[in-house]
Amino acid sequence: MEPGAKAFPRNARKALSDPALQAALGRTTGRFLDHRAAAVAAFPEFEATRERASAIKLEALSRLDVHLSRFIEEAEKRGAVVHVAKGPVQARGIAAQIAREEGVALAVKSKSMVSEEISFNAALAEAGLEVVESDLGEFILQLAGEPPSHIIAPAVHKSRAEISELFSRRLGAPPTDSIPELVAIARRHLREKFLSAGMGVSGANFLVADTGSVVLVTNEGNGRMGTILPRVHLAVAGIEKVIPRMADLPAFLRLLPRSASGQILSSYVSILTGTRQAGDAEGPERMHILLVDCGRSAILEGKYREVLKCIRCGACLNSCPVYQSVGGHAYGWVYSGPIGAVLTPLLIGLSEAAPLPDASTLCGACAEVCPVKIPLPDFLLELRADAREQGLKTPGEIAGMKGYAGVMKRAGLLEAVERIAGVLVQFFTKGKPVEGLPHPFSGWTERRDFPAVAIRPFRKLWKARRGVRE
Amino acid sequence: MTPTDERELLLRRVRSAVGKHGAEAGGAAPAEGARNPLAEDERLDLFERMFLSAGGVIFRGPMEKVMSDLGEILRTEGVAALFFPEDDASAREIAEALVPFGPFHLTTGAEVRGGSPAVTAGFRSAEAGIAETGTVVETSAGGRTLLPGLLADVHVSLLPASSVVERMDEALAALAAGPPRNISFLSGPSKSADIEQTLAVGAHGPRKVIVLLV
Repeated sequence: MEPGAKAFPRNARKALSDPALQAALGRTTGRFLDHRAAAVAAFPEFEATRERASAIKLEALSRLDVHLSRFIEEAEKRGAVVHVAKGPVQARGIAAQIAREEGVALAVKSKSMVSEEISFNAALAEAGLEVVESDLGEFILQLAGEPPSHIIAPAVHKSRAEISELFSRRLGAPPTDSIPELVAIARRHLREKFLSAGMGVSGANFLVADTGSVVLVTNEGNGRMGTILPRVHLAVAGIEKVIPRMADLPAFLRLLPRSASGQILSSYVSILTGTRQAGDAEGPERMHILLVDCGRSAILEGKYREVLKCIRCGACLNSCPVYQSVGGHAYGWVYSGPIGAVLTPLLIGLSEAAPLPDASTLCGACAEVCPVKIPLPDFLLELRADAREQGLKTPGEIAGMKGYAGVMKRAGLLEAVERIAGVLVQFFTKGKPVEGLPHPFSGWTERRDFPAVAIRPFRKLWKARRGVRE
Repeated sequence: MTPTDERELLLRRVRSAVGKHGAEAGGAAPAEGARNPLAEDERLDLFERMFLSAGGVIFRGPMEKVMSDLGEILRTEGVAALFFPEDDASAREIAEALVPFGPFHLTTGAEVRGGSPAVTAGFRSAEAGIAETGTVVETSAGGRTLLPGLLADVHVSLLPASSVVERMDEALAALAAGPPRNISFLSGPSKSADIEQTLAVGAHGPRKVIVLLV
């Protein structure tokens, strides 16, 4: 996917003045948060499970070389072919080659974020294949020609009226305002594709090292259809998805659905190991697993390693006041919300995504809900410091921050500035809040008023108060 | 560059990245603490509660009563055809006994896979149940078909009470030694909330999942 993260400020402004998007975001994030909170409250083991899951991921990452080799060995022992791609170009090349060599004309695909990173569908289209997204949300977006805007609810920004219009224009379906009818239209259309596709493409929620298994978690059952019916199964996964043992899986299965949608378990969990075995009634004759690095080994090396613990539940998106306000598209690349603000600069380069770490109030809500305890606010701060070091901050911003720090460190100077500001503000606004500041501070007052500066600073009031008490 | 080279290079990159953090960066994760297992009736009650909360339907009790209720559900869902694995005697028995409750006819997995448009109910014996999540486990072990729980509009899963375990760990431990190609956990109907966050069932798989606890 072409990165557009540099345009975050412009995208965010556009999103804020889009009433349909604002309604959709309000509806969605609130509901997800409520369901999550209820599920967590009903699960006393939640904290202990978080600790355990975080420890398992750290263990996996600390010896990722060992666990990756084990995964490759076990998967190949059971008939899978494992491919490795360093970057998006290689990944696309390998995917196209697999499709060509397998003689596939139609592929059905279930949701995979990493495939968005590498523009997977475009690669297969260039190789002459038809690729059909089978997750309902992704299917809608594919018809509309848009990228997903939420990790687990990709079409959250689309209304049923838009979807009905899309289905009648692209599929010739009769218009309807019934959601079950829209779902049924997609089911009929996609069922035909599932039954005739030569290849099913999936992502992977987890890769299990000690059995070589690919684990898929879905609610619709599309992941299961695409990995049982077609002759070929291709799983695309980032290298950080490896967990050491099958015995580790339950902890993650207890956390992922609860954190994502508040479910105890998603309707479908498929644990897929190798190709169909002798005597099996169905299942793919060929299984390919494409392991994608795309910047992950570089992250593993540095101070942001723990971001690789992410299990893509989307809880941090829903809890983030910035995401709640601007939605996913504003972030300009595959990942949005707090995890996107950290992961995007690390995967495509900070200079390509410089505004993202600033797209946070550092309120800490994301860290509170993260099921694997990634210190997202710390990482956002750290990335801001990196941006400064890499010369990605404007001279004005740097001078402003230096000035601010200089004043805040000197009590006398601070008092003088406060006094001057107090007099000026009183003169201009007669004690009322400031409705418009001059450039470069005008952005601050665009959507809210700046409170009037008090004539008597807080420290003065405090001293006076204490004096009375003593 | 050959694929093996790419693989070796990846492992080398990862090894070097891992080495930068030293040995203390993440030891073996602690095992789960010991727990007091539930008694069998508590386990079955938990399974029922969780399966219902996932949107499933469950029948426990004498089969004569169950058959007429089940027949009514299938009629209400507009089911016309019933299918089951050729080698699954219990599933066959239930499906055949249901025929008089319909108008139902028997079909095969192959026909359904061929794209037959009839509304179907797929019957199959489950390998295990998981109480904590209300999950039915069906696998491809022993060449068994998964189509009844995959392609049918209504899935009827026959679950022996003795094979319901309390936790996911137990179900997986039984399978981890020699995993079949496909281990399927099914917890309630196929669902999607992708349109306006409104829950709709039957996105791709069964819109109703019924467990007969036998």
